[in-house]
Amino acid sequence: MKVHVKNWHAIAQWRWDTGASDADDDGEGDVCGICRVPYEGCCPSCKMPGDDCPLIWGECSHVFHMHCLLQWIGTAASKQQCPMDRRPWVTAERKVAKQGR
Amino acid sequence: MSVSTRRLQKELTDIQKQGTPVGIKLLNADDFQTWHLSLEVLGDTVYQGEVFALKFRFDSSYPISSPAVQFVVDDTWKAPVHPHVYSNGHICASILGNEWSPVLSVISVCVTLQSMLASCKKKELPPGNDRYVKNAPENPKKTRFEYHDDNV
Repeated sequence: MKVHVKNWHAIAQWRWDTGASDADDDGEGDVCGICRVPYEGCCPSCKMPGDDCPLIWGECSHVFHMHCLLQWIGTAASKQQCPMDRRPWVTAERKVAKQGR
Repeated sequence: MSVSTRRLQKELTDIQKQGTPVGIKLLNADDFQTWHLSLEVLGDTVYQGEVFALKFRFDSSYPISSPAVQFVVDDTWKAPVHPHVYSNGHICASILGNEWSPVLSVISVCVTLQSMLASCKKKELPPGNDRYVKNAPENPKKTRFEYHDDNV
C-alpha cells in the first residue's frame, strides 16, 4: 500500500525557558509582574511576541519583559532596584539551554 | 491603548473574577483614570465599624509611575484619624512615594493601607496636620513626604 501525503499542517509551540519548573506552573503564574501580560505575550509597547520582545533575568532570579524592566529602571524612582525585592538590579548572564536539532 | 489602560483592564478582570480581599470593595471603576474603593478594617481595631473610601488616580504611565491615592473626604466619607493620614485624606505611606514598585497594584495598595490602619493603637492626627492641610497641593503626589516611622 502506498500512502500519499496530500497536505499537512505543522503546529509549533514555544515558551521562554524561565527556569521555572512545570511544578510551579499553575497555569497563570507566568506573567510579567510589571505589565501582567504572560511572558510569551509581549509588553504593552510591542505588537509581536518573540525575539523582538524578549525577557530579562536579574541575578536576583526575577524575570520581566525586557522593555517593561528597562522602562522602570530608566526612571529615577526605581533607584535601579528590582521591582520585586528592591535589590540593586543586576542583569544575569543567561545561559540558554542548547536546543536539540 | 495606553500602557495604564491595559494594565488596569487586567486588574479589573482579576477583581471581577477573583473578587476583592475581605474588607475591600470596588465602588467604581468607570474609566481608567479614577477608581474608588471602600476600605474597612475587620476585627478588634480602633476603627471598628468605620468604612472609608479611597480614591486612586492613574496617569498614562501607571504602573511605572505610582497612582495618586488618598482617602475621600466629602459629605459622605471621612478620612480615618491616623498618624499617617492628614485630615484632607492625604496619606503618608512610603509605598505611595519613594517605595512604589510597578509590581504593586490597586488591591495590594489597599491591603497595605488596611494593615496600616489595623496596626494603629491610638487615633491621632499627624503632627502638623493643620499646617499641611492649609498648604497641601490638590494631588498628594506633589507632596514630598518624609517617612519617619515604619511602626504605625
